[in-house]
Amino acid sequence: MTKLNHSSNTTILEVDGLKKYFPIRRGFLKRIVGWQKAVEDVSFSIERGNTLGLVGESGCGKTTVARLILKLLEADGGRILFKGQNITHLSDNEMKPLRKEMQMIFQDPYGSLNPKMSVGRTIAEGLRVAGFKAKSDLNERLGDLLQLVGLSPSAANRFPHEFSGGQRQRIGIARALSVQPKLIICDEPVSALDVSIQAQILNLLKDLQDQLKLSYLFISHDFNVVGYVCNYIAVMYKGQIVEHAPADELFENPQHSYTRVLLAAAPDLESGKQWAV
Amino acid sequence: MKQTNDSLLSVEDLRVYFRSDEELSRAVDGISFDVRREETVCLVGESGCGKSVSALSVIGLVPIPPGEIVSGKILFDGQNLIDLDEESMQRIRGNHIAMVFQEPLTSLNPVFTIGDQIAEAIRTHEPVSEKELESRCRQLLENVGIPSAGERLGDYPHHLSGGQRQRVMIAMALACNPDLIIADEPTTALDVTVQDQILRLFDDLQKSHAMSVLYITHDLGVVTAVADRVYVMYAGVIAEEGTTPQIFEEPQHPYTRALLASLPSRRKRGQRLYSIPGSVPNPAYKPSGCPFHPRCEYAIQRCQEQYPKMCDYNDGHLARCPVVYDGGTTSWCEPSA
Repeated sequence: MTKLNHSSNTTILEVDGLKKYFPIRRGFLKRIVGWQKAVEDVSFSIERGNTLGLVGESGCGKTTVARLILKLLEADGGRILFKGQNITHLSDNEMKPLRKEMQMIFQDPYGSLNPKMSVGRTIAEGLRVAGFKAKSDLNERLGDLLQLVGLSPSAANRFPHEFSGGQRQRIGIARALSVQPKLIICDEPVSALDVSIQAQILNLLKDLQDQLKLSYLFISHDFNVVGYVCNYIAVMYKGQIVEHAPADELFENPQHSYTRVLLAAAPDLESGKQWAV
Repeated sequence: MKQTNDSLLSVEDLRVYFRSDEELSRAVDGISFDVRREETVCLVGESGCGKSVSALSVIGLVPIPPGEIVSGKILFDGQNLIDLDEESMQRIRGNHIAMVFQEPLTSLNPVFTIGDQIAEAIRTHEPVSEKELESRCRQLLENVGIPSAGERLGDYPHHLSGGQRQRVMIAMALACNPDLIIADEPTTALDVTVQDQILRLFDDLQKSHAMSVLYITHDLGVVTAVADRVYVMYAGVIAEEGTTPQIFEEPQHPYTRALLASLPSRRKRGQRLYSIPGSVPNPAYKPSGCPFHPRCEYAIQRCQEQYPKMCDYNDGHLARCPVVYDGGTTSWCEPSA
């Protein structure tokens, strides 16, 4: 596979030949009988302020890629360059300052929020890491963040169960933003949400990208969502990227047979008119 | 698609409320819909709009209490299902009306083989010999596209993939050749390519078995793929009904238009998506008049005061919105019928 872009000042993340194999163990002694190639030779890069879509079906390895980039898993091969720095083999301590710059938004906003912590405490944890120590600064910034994601500052005193699905996703986004990241990995951020709520969250992610110059790695199985959000799309199948191309090119002239299968299976709602309300 | 007025299922002014100590939730608040023979009808709406409760009441599975069927008729083949006792209902359930649920792993019993579970559905309704039972189970699995069906009969649900489990659920639903299958979000938990296979399977089976399908979904993409006719639900009522082209090409209700405008697609990249202001009302505290009026861009004073009637826009295309918007002025147009 040809490399997309050469690392430059404008590249925030570059992944080159990334590999992750999981051992398959059998029997009483749990001997390793084989390897599951979860991620095999995956390469891509994301330019600052841009969005790369990673599309594929369940089990294709897209979430494993996310975990490798965040170094929640150790890669078995390849390189991860963040802002030009090779982070593939950094220790936890060395990673610490970089963690602030890479954040994640999860699919299930309820499962990823601590039910016993008020929204304010959840977000303040991140703010303290980001260096807001004085109580007045912290509270001011907390209020600003909640407003930024479209919640009222009074939400800080309430608990996750008091919010709807869309509001919980906003809390998850506020928490990710609390440490002022440069790159956010969005793992199926809208697939658990209703159509009208989905539109609100997608608009919010777009506004935040414009305001804060964020870069996104956007993981999804939904071509309509990815086509809306991303200027560049990579299609994953069985641990490998089988095709990557600018979004319009991918839709209009898919090269790999698997991409064609996926596109054909995705319901197309655009045969009709575009409705303005 | 067959166009007859021969309705198999006809729901008239159904109201299903849920009562708790503090409040009364009007989950389904006066809906009417028809499913004709050999037709696929979609009930579409967002979470909490009452679509699943409507489906469950047709098959008599609404928990009573706390649920309560306050009014309405559910006519199936001319018989009002609400009047039936549990025993008569059991003869209809599975035999004439079958249901396929969203999550196939939780609706299959993990400690029985899939063969046992399909056989149970047949045995409940028909006296058949063990030998015939086995061959029918095998045939059913073949019909839903499970390879080497004979060997899979002894498998347990955990041996199967998500798509195969959903196929088994469909095989169980088909076991007694029902006239109507109710499918409640049957593909929501599945990947797109598997979803595509299951939707095609429904289509084939419907033709070969001459069945009707009532399809419940929140996914407008699925609706365009399967439905002959569509009912759009909002806050326990039907906002709009019509054929699939009518709903998607000439939507009349502001809610339907708003839903379609809020769908993301690559052609809208760079533009803001329309987002409906506010949120879905709590079924216990619905706004007066039209339930959509607080979120509607075209609402006029009268929308707050008067519950709108269904208006006929064109040849069976009905929308519960009489507000006509004409060059900057809005007016209330009483339906002729």
